[in-house]
Amino acid sequence: MSPNRRIRGGKVIAADNLYTVILGLAFCIVLATAAFVAYKCYFQYETIFNIP
Amino acid sequence: MSTLTKILIVLVTISSIFLCGIVVTYVALADNYKDKYDEIKTERDSFKETANDKTEQLNKKIAEKDALEDKLNREIAKLNTEISTLKGDLKAANDEQKISNQRLSDMASVVETTTQTSKETTKLLMDTQAQLTLAEAEKTKLEAQFEDTSNTLLEKLAIIQTLEKEKKQLLEEKAELQSRMDKLLQPTGKAPAPVVIVTPPTDVARPAPVITKKIELRGLVTAVDSKNKMAGISIGTADGVKEGMRFHVTRANKFICDILIIDTDAEEAVGVLELIEEQPRPGDTVATNL
Repeated sequence: MSPNRRIRGGKVIAADNLYTVILGLAFCIVLATAAFVAYKCYFQYETIFNIP
Repeated sequence: MSTLTKILIVLVTISSIFLCGIVVTYVALADNYKDKYDEIKTERDSFKETANDKTEQLNKKIAEKDALEDKLNREIAKLNTEISTLKGDLKAANDEQKISNQRLSDMASVVETTTQTSKETTKLLMDTQAQLTLAEAEKTKLEAQFEDTSNTLLEKLAIIQTLEKEKKQLLEEKAELQSRMDKLLQPTGKAPAPVVIVTPPTDVARPAPVITKKIELRGLVTAVDSKNKMAGISIGTADGVKEGMRFHVTRANKFICDILIIDTDAEEAVGVLELIEEQPRPGDTVATNL
């Protein structure tokens, strides 16, 4: 929980850092996916970008 | 940060997680086409090599088949030649069998004729034996008659001798009486008259007339062997021809020659040509009487 939690109009509102973490998580997921795809391409076709 | 930005961040995050999950799932489950390609290529090479081997074996088999076919064709040609030869042999054997059957039937007819002739000969022999028996009985009877006749003849000869003696005595007495009569009549100038025979002379015995019968056999000349002066005629023992018979050969009332029979068969006879005035031909008429 971000320390920047605020209460607006009587409701609890998430801090902006939470969305940064979510965005970072999404980036990491995309990065991990790209790495996995590159790994599979290299070990199956022995190249990443070229067509064998 | 606005609410819209937050919503966008959440949506981007969710969509990226979803899409990355899809991509990871796809990549993890995707086939390794390079391995498949290598495997298929290896299999193709293997098939190609197998096809080459099979093609080589096929060519080898075709060559063996051609060689075998040539060999079989030669054997077929050889067997066809043998079949032709065997057909010729079979035809010759069939012809020979026909000739043999014909000879067999001829021999059967000859045997039948010979058997019939033998039966006739046997019957003739039996008749002849019966006639011989009768002739022997007749001979015995004639011998007895001959004996009687001889005895009678001897008696007659004795009587004749006696009569000749008496005749001689009578002639002597007649001469004596004649001389005495002459002595008695000469002085009276008379002579005795010639003696008239009172007893009629007996007739002289004459031979009885010979009664003969003509044979009257007629036939044709069937074959002529001018080199050996032999000829065959169309009649034989069945018609009454016997060895030693003489046939006269004529052609249109013209005398050709004689045939003296020396061998007879049931239906034909063979003889020697004699008194040849002209060469006989088959078809000329032969007869025992002209």
